[in-house]
Amino acid sequence: MTERSEGPRFAPDLLTEMFQNPLDPGYADAAARRAAEGPKPRWSRVTSGGFRLLVLVAIGLLFAVAYRHVVAGESESSRAHAGLVDEARGAQARTDDLQGQADALRDEVAALRAEALGAGSGELRALREREAATGLAKVTGDGVIVTVSDAAPQVDPTTGKQVTPEGGRVLDKDLQEVANGLWAAGAEAVAVNGQRLTATSTIRTAGSAILVDFRPVTSPYQVTAIGPDDMLDRFLAGPAAALLRGLKTQYGIDFATSRRDDLILPAAGTDIPLRFARPDVSPSPTPTGGG
Amino acid sequence: MIAVLFLVVGIVLGVVLEPTVPVALQPYLPIAVVAALDAVFGGVRAKLDGVFDDKQFVISFISNVLVAAFIVYLGDQLGVGGQLSTGVVVVLGVRIFGNVAAIRRHLFRA
Repeated sequence: MTERSEGPRFAPDLLTEMFQNPLDPGYADAAARRAAEGPKPRWSRVTSGGFRLLVLVAIGLLFAVAYRHVVAGESESSRAHAGLVDEARGAQARTDDLQGQADALRDEVAALRAEALGAGSGELRALREREAATGLAKVTGDGVIVTVSDAAPQVDPTTGKQVTPEGGRVLDKDLQEVANGLWAAGAEAVAVNGQRLTATSTIRTAGSAILVDFRPVTSPYQVTAIGPDDMLDRFLAGPAAALLRGLKTQYGIDFATSRRDDLILPAAGTDIPLRFARPDVSPSPTPTGGG
Repeated sequence: MIAVLFLVVGIVLGVVLEPTVPVALQPYLPIAVVAALDAVFGGVRAKLDGVFDDKQFVISFISNVLVAAFIVYLGDQLGVGGQLSTGVVVVLGVRIFGNVAAIRRHLFRA
């Protein structure tokens, strides 16, 4: 390095210097020194050659270790992810299984009850109608589908991520309005994304998800209702449709309705527990009041 | 050729022996790899230029790794470890690019 000690070592523009002269000046200096002093003694060349090979082995070792390290870290995180996915899938399968069992048992109960009451009896028919009205039995009929969905995502110009515009999310309140509007228009059975609504159903927000009877539903939300032929017109003339039309023009929330024949609405997933009232088991009709 | 052979020996040793890196040294592993790459490409270029020197190569590798690790360590202590790591990678990356370009000129005359 002594040869180049005259003048500044750094060019005024450090970056230009760095790009133009990437080689260690040390190599050139060593070559110049060799040229000036003649070749080094043999023992010196042998030892430094040995050091060179040692360093090469060390570099190879370093590469291998770093590679193994990166691969191990990757597999660890992907293993954790795969484990979580498996767990979620297992839980889902178990839920489906139990739901199927519950449905089968419910069918069995219904069949046994029909047998006990005698098929075609007035009591059985009355029971079935009440079950259908309360949401405890599957129903079928003509009706409408009201589809509400979040506003189309927009690409954020700075981050490049897809974001739902401000106010463009469907809220629990909006779905409640739709359901209430359908009931008011004469619906006899209503379901949100296949979740049948009963007298005690809840539609509410938990975080960014909407829960119907504690089960998450996602956009697009399909509110299905079975009711009279003029239900759609009455719904569209009502306040719920007016609210949604406003949301559509203001925030871009999607709102569409369609008439559909032969809709099938499932039974409500949850039985409605009686907490205070007790069913009266006496077979004879009992007088009400203080009789 | 013998250099490549010993490099391969090192890689094989690393694969076979499966040495574990102490947790305290793990953050410096990537920086050490980049520093080693810089030393290797610098050495190859010097070889092609006909000015290769064993001592220079050994010292440049060791000092590269140590200085890079020291800068990252210092940055960690000061709370700017990420930025300083980026700085080290940029500087060494520029050198690697320059050396590879010189090697390419030597090999392909283009």
